[in-house]
Amino acid sequence: MTTRRSAPVYLNLFRISFPVGAVASIAHRISGVLLFLSFPLLVYLLDLSLQDLRGFNQATALLQSDWFRLGSTLVAWSLFHHLFSGIRFLLIDIGAGVGLRQARTTAWLVNIAGAAAALLYLGWML
Amino acid sequence: MSRADGLRTWLLQRVSAIYLALFLVYVLVHFWLNPNPDYEAWRVWVASPVVSIAGAGFVLALLIHGWVGLRDVTLDYIHHLGLRLMVLTLTAVLLIGCGFWAVRILIVTST
Repeated sequence: MTTRRSAPVYLNLFRISFPVGAVASIAHRISGVLLFLSFPLLVYLLDLSLQDLRGFNQATALLQSDWFRLGSTLVAWSLFHHLFSGIRFLLIDIGAGVGLRQARTTAWLVNIAGAAAALLYLGWML
Repeated sequence: MSRADGLRTWLLQRVSAIYLALFLVYVLVHFWLNPNPDYEAWRVWVASPVVSIAGAGFVLALLIHGWVGLRDVTLDYIHHLGLRLMVLTLTAVLLIGCGFWAVRILIVTST
């Protein structure tokens, strides 16, 4: 007869280390939700920029404000990470890079590429 | 949900993803090559047939992709039935509302 053992519980976040593929995956979800939330703001900017010259100037002034630069860097990270990790998932779907070693390497690649693209965007904005 | 539904959703998510990625790369490359457009150039570009028609397709793909994605995330993390229903409803309202808004902008700009 087996006795019920309680599962070990580690709630210390510094002692839990996620495999790199899990980081790529959860970041895909987080970035997706962030993109969804930024959708109304982006449509608003599109609308404003196309109304007339005044609206266009207002929109470009908004783009150059400090809070927008910071906020849009987060959206840029979301966009690039979601794009890169999405391409990785599509490749895995068709059987490319399924092996553990390859999958770990490409997970590192997309995580770094997403962050790097966001930094490049920030540098280009400043 | 039947298995056929799940497969159809899985496929829709991937087909829309490919379309979104292609259009997005096109837009990013365009801005890379033509940075900081003035008002006239921006308007003419958006109103061009390729951008406005492919852009409307982008909005449609975005609604499908966003709905499937947000639905998956909601079903995974929100277990309270009432709250889940509320979040899904708000998601649908926001997606459809912004979708119509975006398509309206494309139509008004290109006419």
